Amino acid sequence: MGQIVYDVHYQTTLGFLISYYFYLTGLSAGSFMISTLSYGFGFEKFKAASKMGVVTAVILLLLAPQFLLMQVAWPVKSLWHNFVYLNPLSAISYGAFLLVLYPLNSIIYGIFMFKDNKKWTKFFGLIGIPLALAVHGYTGWILALGVARDYWNTGLMPIVFLFSAMVSGISMMILMIMIRDRFFTAEKKINREIIDGLAKLLGWLLVVDLFLVFCDYSILLYSRLEGQEVAHFMLYGKMAFGFVVLENLIGKIIPLIIVMVPRLRNSYFLLVLAAIMNMVGILAMRIVTVYGGQALPLM
Amino acid sequence: MSKAHETATPSGSKKLPRWGMVIDLNRCIGCHTCEITCKIQNDVPLGIWRSWVKVIEKGKYPNVVRAFRPTLCNHCENPVCVKVCPVHASYKREDGIVMVDPHLCVGCRYCMSACPYEVRYIHPQKGILDKCDFCHFRVDQGLQPACVEACPTSARIFGDLNDPDAEVTQLVEKKPVQALKVDMGTDPHVYYIGLDQATMEIKREVELVWDK
Repeated sequence: MGQIVYDVHYQTTLGFLISYYFYLTGLSAGSFMISTLSYGFGFEKFKAASKMGVVTAVILLLLAPQFLLMQVAWPVKSLWHNFVYLNPLSAISYGAFLLVLYPLNSIIYGIFMFKDNKKWTKFFGLIGIPLALAVHGYTGWILALGVARDYWNTGLMPIVFLFSAMVSGISMMILMIMIRDRFFTAEKKINREIIDGLAKLLGWLLVVDLFLVFCDYSILLYSRLEGQEVAHFMLYGKMAFGFVVLENLIGKIIPLIIVMVPRLRNSYFLLVLAAIMNMVGILAMRIVTVYGGQALPLM
Repeated sequence: MSKAHETATPSGSKKLPRWGMVIDLNRCIGCHTCEITCKIQNDVPLGIWRSWVKVIEKGKYPNVVRAFRPTLCNHCENPVCVKVCPVHASYKREDGIVMVDPHLCVGCRYCMSACPYEVRYIHPQKGILDKCDFCHFRVDQGLQPACVEACPTSARIFGDLNDPDAEVTQLVEKKPVQALKVDMGTDPHVYYIGLDQATMEIKREVELVWDK
């Protein structure tokens, strides 16, 4: 109705650093899940991925909070204020505890795994699963509780984050296992069985992920004006390349076709391509969600 | 308007004030004086504002009119920013002023992304969160906030909403008033008289900043 003559636009609240933090926690949670498949749930064929999974999970989760500290204006203050002046109503408060507990548990779990202590590995692995779910689910929860933004404020957000975490974690594990088997083992031969199993798992998780995105957008397009605006912004606006092309086409649909068609899956080249594309796509998803979700002014 | 002064030091009753503001847009001429005064009073750095006047031009030539919406923190009864702050740095005073404790704030910007009114900013030099606090130091002294004091047409009226005789209370009770985004459940305490729908619209037909 009116033309804006003068208005104040605000600073970007959460930036790229937060996207990278979400991405790395996602990869960490995903690789932790893979590592628990054999010790925690008894899928023996994934045993070769367990040790690699837990080491990656720990390294990534020690790395991820550094981005969080870079984003926070007062990093040292935040290290202890988060515990001392805790606000139980805030999602970030719980994150502070999870970011301490989850790496600690993963380290203990990893130590028992390397000592071949099956009983305690299983125990700490099973404790780690809810922690891994929580440490990544809460990142989606943080965004969902940013109630002002319609794009974030949906109950699907933690679940979308969990599935994209598992998807990107599996892609990373596929890549890492292939590199290890090809270059750092005596026989230089890739373990076909585990790669195939992970690729199939990736396929089904991608189906769920795409379904969740479909649910999210189909509801957003029918929701309040602000939700409609942001959905249009994502689908046809400035974010369209990031959301439609990078996240969904390159990141999810093409990898899904590659891992679901047996003939394509048998090609190592295509599988590597699918894993790389998926990892790029999930990184795009983090940036699109964090940056795009708050790009439109609210009033 | 002198009511604010009287209720700041209540004589008879011990009841705490509940500060609020009414902005009468029939009087507003869009001169941006409140914006400038606020920047001077609170030493707000370049590029950020605690309070500003959004200006909308509507209609078709030659029937064109400008509509204004002075914007500031709504000092909600149920503020989202206080709920989401992980370190209790955002808090609501007993008299309803929503403030930030600079010693507790770690600058995580979560409240910025949760505030439905987008009135919070990170102070570029201090790295902590800053926002309109109704000039609490002036209010505590029995004065009016700087923007209210400076408004040449007295469009901004500040006072105690708990005091039935105060001008703000009278206006809120007797005039048709609106508040911004009441659907968020925040119960904002900045009221507008004669607010134009066009100034609140989310739908943008103009080119957005990032489209350029």
